[in-house]
Amino acid sequence: MNQNDRQVTNMKGRTRNILRVSIIVTITLLIGITVWFNLTSGTQAVEVGDEAVDFRLTTLEGEEIQLSELIEDKGVILNFWGTWCPPCREEMPDMNDVYTDGHEDYEIVAVNIGENEQQITQFLSGLSADLEFPIALDRSRSVTEAYNIGPLPTTIAVNKEGIVVKKQEYQLTHEDILAFVEEATE
Amino acid sequence: MELKEMKCESCGHINPPGTQLCQSCGKMIDSDYDQNKIKDLMRYDGSAIRSKTKPKSIFDKIWIFFTSVRVGVSIILAITVAAAIGTIFPQEYYIPIGVDPGEHYQENYGTLGYLYYSLGFHNLYSSWWFLILNGLLALSIIAASIDRGIPLFKSLKNQRVKKHDSFFRRQRLFLNTERPANTDSLIDAFSKKRYKVRKDGNSYLLEKGRLSRYGPYINHIGLILLLFGSMLRFFPGMYVDELIYLNEGETEEIPTTQGQYYIKNERFVIDTYEKEDGEVFQQALSEGSDLVSNFQTDITFYENNSADIVGSSPDLEEIDEYSIRVNHPFSFGSYELYQSSYDNSQLKAMTFRVEDASGNTIGDNFTINLDDPDSQFAVSEDISVNMRAYSPDFLEVADNGTLVSATPVPTNPAFVFEVTNGQESELSLLQIMNSTDITENNEYNIRFVGAEEHIATVLTVKKDHTIPFIATGFIIFLIGLSVGSYINHRRIWIKADDDFMLAAHTNKNYFGMKREINEVLESNGLEAVNDKLDDEDKNKE
Repeated sequence: MNQNDRQVTNMKGRTRNILRVSIIVTITLLIGITVWFNLTSGTQAVEVGDEAVDFRLTTLEGEEIQLSELIEDKGVILNFWGTWCPPCREEMPDMNDVYTDGHEDYEIVAVNIGENEQQITQFLSGLSADLEFPIALDRSRSVTEAYNIGPLPTTIAVNKEGIVVKKQEYQLTHEDILAFVEEATE
Repeated sequence: MELKEMKCESCGHINPPGTQLCQSCGKMIDSDYDQNKIKDLMRYDGSAIRSKTKPKSIFDKIWIFFTSVRVGVSIILAITVAAAIGTIFPQEYYIPIGVDPGEHYQENYGTLGYLYYSLGFHNLYSSWWFLILNGLLALSIIAASIDRGIPLFKSLKNQRVKKHDSFFRRQRLFLNTERPANTDSLIDAFSKKRYKVRKDGNSYLLEKGRLSRYGPYINHIGLILLLFGSMLRFFPGMYVDELIYLNEGETEEIPTTQGQYYIKNERFVIDTYEKEDGEVFQQALSEGSDLVSNFQTDITFYENNSADIVGSSPDLEEIDEYSIRVNHPFSFGSYELYQSSYDNSQLKAMTFRVEDASGNTIGDNFTINLDDPDSQFAVSEDISVNMRAYSPDFLEVADNGTLVSATPVPTNPAFVFEVTNGQESELSLLQIMNSTDITENNEYNIRFVGAEEHIATVLTVKKDHTIPFIATGFIIFLIGLSVGSYINHRRIWIKADDDFMLAAHTNKNYFGMKREINEVLESNGLEAVNDKLDDEDKNKE
């Protein structure tokens, strides 16, 4: 075989290699991207380390609260609850106790999920003490959906930087509440 | 196997490694090859299948692995088995919305159902491993096609007219006879049968229907497009299939529009056929069943003008009104809203009346809106009813006297009513099925009159940018299939030197080709062509 022939063969070999490598790499990349999209699709639950979704809700007293405004100078504890959920009913007085001991550097927002005012006031009237922290009304459940809340109660601590620093998906004990306050104010 | 270029002993042509029949003259040069396997050899015209050459890098090894037909078939088999498993129990998107999938499968299908759920088969078609299998199938199709298609294309494009005598003898249809007086008229006759004629000295190559050989490759291009289209469904913004559940009068955000668009259910209508509508309905109507003629949701479509903060009330501007009926969706942008179903199982309101001890109704009935109940109802001038407590799904009476609800959904409502006439008041607990006096010796009774249900429409939100790919893929797939099935690639080699030699090859339907050739041969006064398969049959007998 002469020099020219060999060069032609090498050229062919090179195009062939480029073709093979690029096809294998492309398909691997596409499979990777597809699997990644698939695993990350749908509403992901907000987890510790995520940025908290900003929201604006009306409270039972008729005030407008917005998360981004609250965290300007305070840590925030979000407590998602419903009157029909027994552990939610049980932890409310404990949260109130901690809150009334002083809440200069944090705020508790109890986000009620989708219930009407009659149900909430009926529940509050059955408590031995008035709740001092605001109760935000999420009638359309849009905030609940944005945070993809699963079981109730779910409590989330957000620090001043707007980052979720703690999350618990079951009833809070007195110690848990203190831990949440500590995380939110750190 | 020899892994270097091979020089043909007969004509001196240099062939790439792995070649089985000399590209120039068609003489068998790969002596290791089983000489009886004519068909296999001719499938790729004896050219070197790329992967049968020596692997070098890791990419070559991967490539060669996927060019294997055995690997391809295994992948297809794996996908088939997996797809079949996915149909044993319903997939997760077919089970009722809101139920816990683990419990649902356990309850309905027992331990097998639970196993099905734990193994992730309830979301089989979007599982990572199913996606990877499909990706590997794509790689296998592409690699195998390139590996076989390109050498085949080259060898068909560069084929020579002159072939070695051994090549003639190896073909299934073969004739060796005395040279006829007029070769030209014979060639003309073939030419009339739409054969393309090439001539080199005393050798001829007659060919038609070469496209047939590319059918499988066209087919594969279609398949790749199909796989590409179905892959795009997983890309954000390419494919949407969601449900909206809307009570009459409710306004909701349209899912996946990031709060930009809202829709209000103004009215949901079910129309039925009447006797006057035609003879065809008579029988069904006489059997007493309702025949629905129309499901319709009258909607108002809004755009949200406010910057969207979750939970804040939107600033809606009315854009359009429309009546969505079955097969008449509302379209906006690339979205379509279809009528999917309706639901009237949710309680909306309950109506009661007040009775005195002797059973006479007092004043007007009063209606409680269960979504947002009022607490006071004036029944008559001096009698009013206070709703002291309400539980949508009554569970028990708590220690502090309030009613406890099991869920927030009004499925088993219970109320504590206080009837007062200005001076005295009495309490009673009322459930749908029974009522209990709380205070003793009550003078008044509250009776359940009726309930009203919510009428909710269920709409499907659809968006699909993958349809053009999938449709084109299918069309190309079908074109490839028909090209491969209905066109025959027929070639006839003729050598008219001292004696006359004719050999013929087709990729399918030898019977038809034999008939075509014999017709021409006969009209030119030649004997019929020999078929090796017929000879074999005779030998067996």
